[in-house]
Amino acid sequence: MDPTVAEYIRRTVLKMPKDEIKMMLQKWGFLSETQLQTLNFHQIKDNISQEVVQLCEENSADIKQAAALDIIYNHIYQNKRMWSVYQMKKSGEEVEYFDIADFKKKFKRRIRSALKNVTITFKEYEDNAIWIRVAWGTPYKKPNQYKPSYVVYHSQTPYVFISASMLKSNLPLLCQALLVASNYHDIREMELRSHSLNSLKDIVFKRYSQNFQTYTPKPLQEGNVEPENADIRIIHENGSEKERIHRLNQEIFGSGPQPKLEFAQYKLETMFKSGPKMDVLNKKEPFRCLVKFSSPHLLESLKSLAPAGMADAPLSPLLTCIPHKARNYFKIREKKESFVSP
Amino acid sequence: ENADPQKTAFVLRKAWTLYSVTPLYRFRRSRLSEYARLLSAFIAAEKQKGLAVEVGVELDIKVALSSLADLRGSELDQAALLVQLSSRSRASSKNSEDKLVWSGWFCSMFGDDLSENVPENFTCLPLFLTHGAESYTSLVGSWFQKTFDCCFRRLAISPLNLSWMVAMWAGYKLERAASAVELVFSVPRLSQPLDISYAIHPEDAKALWDTVQKTPGEITQGEVDVFMDCLCAHFHRHFKIHLSAAKLVKVSTGIASAHCDGIVKILHSQHLPGVLMLLTELAISQIQ
Repeated sequence: MDPTVAEYIRRTVLKMPKDEIKMMLQKWGFLSETQLQTLNFHQIKDNISQEVVQLCEENSADIKQAAALDIIYNHIYQNKRMWSVYQMKKSGEEVEYFDIADFKKKFKRRIRSALKNVTITFKEYEDNAIWIRVAWGTPYKKPNQYKPSYVVYHSQTPYVFISASMLKSNLPLLCQALLVASNYHDIREMELRSHSLNSLKDIVFKRYSQNFQTYTPKPLQEGNVEPENADIRIIHENGSEKERIHRLNQEIFGSGPQPKLEFAQYKLETMFKSGPKMDVLNKKEPFRCLVKFSSPHLLESLKSLAPAGMADAPLSPLLTCIPHKARNYFKIREKKESFVSP
Repeated sequence: ENADPQKTAFVLRKAWTLYSVTPLYRFRRSRLSEYARLLSAFIAAEKQKGLAVEVGVELDIKVALSSLADLRGSELDQAALLVQLSSRSRASSKNSEDKLVWSGWFCSMFGDDLSENVPENFTCLPLFLTHGAESYTSLVGSWFQKTFDCCFRRLAISPLNLSWMVAMWAGYKLERAASAVELVFSVPRLSQPLDISYAIHPEDAKALWDTVQKTPGEITQGEVDVFMDCLCAHFHRHFKIHLSAAKLVKVSTGIASAHCDGIVKILHSQHLPGVLMLLTELAISQIQ
């Protein structure tokens, strides 16, 4: 077995949490159940990975199998990577029958016609997701297996999710190969990035609860229940304001869970407007700012601002438009009272 | 104030954790090498007791104490006192160099408010800055406390003081490629915590400050308030969020940055005295 392949397998196993190694090796299916039985999973990871490498030697693993193991790890730990979203455009309206074998062939051919030193691996998952792993080399160097690109493509949609971790110079080739293989003619990067691949899918596939006006016979949902005590002299302060905020939040965010994004970034190039009594800056040029919101769950966080008294309700459309505009990077320029984002 | 840049270079571009220190009783400048030996022995003894600072590696800690005459505001200030802990692994050869593992320095920059009022045997160096493992800070602090009967306290920086810093620093003359004036707010008590970074182009922040500040060389609380209100108003116009209700936790400019937990980083020697003066003032308020 090629020693670089052995080392790559060893390092891939080392990345895995100890109690998940067996499961991932089983998913991999390259080592037989009998071989897996011989492994001692109670020793330190260093030793486990060495034993795995020895078994791979017995089976003469090559880089294709090693890459397959890497896909399995990255599919489970997809949220460790940063994903960008790309949208493809078709020229015609025809719905073509998608042939996975054809797709793979065309993809490989396009990439290899420009660059011989690549490792390309595919894996299909039940949710119609095709995972592609590409390790890039140069005309003179073998592919760097430690910095592959990952592409996730749902064939029934025009969306591609890419996690690059590579030189930008390979991106155009990757995009071209995707277009050729999938029969689209144009691809553009959307202003949408996150670690949570599923949330990105939720947003572009519109799988989250949207702000539909649903008819509810009761005026209020949970959260604003009438107090149990019978003393009608006790009323909630600002009760009607709280109700209004709650209702607006429901309208804007919907009542289901929000897609999970970690940040939103706004490049502001708007004019600074001083308050009525303030004798301050009145330049003709924009007041240039960069605002970044971060949270473990940004949309839930924003949703809770008005009820907490931190923000006005309704919240600014700059924030509430994130899911349905499918973007979390914005450039805002002045346009009378509203904003223009290119 | 014209400090030799070489001597003060160690201060720049490092994150320093801040403490206030009460005056040191019977501290003698002439006995620095003796103190260094005593501190060294103390650290070795603590390690023997099992309070190991470095697990698995056998390290000898060497202590060096020095005075920095340049780091002070006026003649009324005490010269700064620098403590450095270096290690040399016992495993390596005698020729290997010592590695600096921890530094801390005591300083007073225009700290007359405090030194005016203390009796003779006391030395005032109210600001203590450390860089390195917390465990070493603890050891050094304990020894100083025992030896000079002083008291250390972490110096937190309030949002009020952070806003003074950002207003002041935003107004300084700009370098060519100055970095943004950034304010970081935190909204912790939500169901999901939210951090907001608000970074303003340094030219625009300075332009705003210049129209707010009425007398050059002088800053009033009112002016700082107006500056902050303007920034919050601009933010509110876009996002409908009340930044004034959030907690200002960090400010950062091309001059320096400061975090509410009492951590600062100073980037230019030119502004070192100004920043240290502000920090000395904060330390003194915490002591009094």
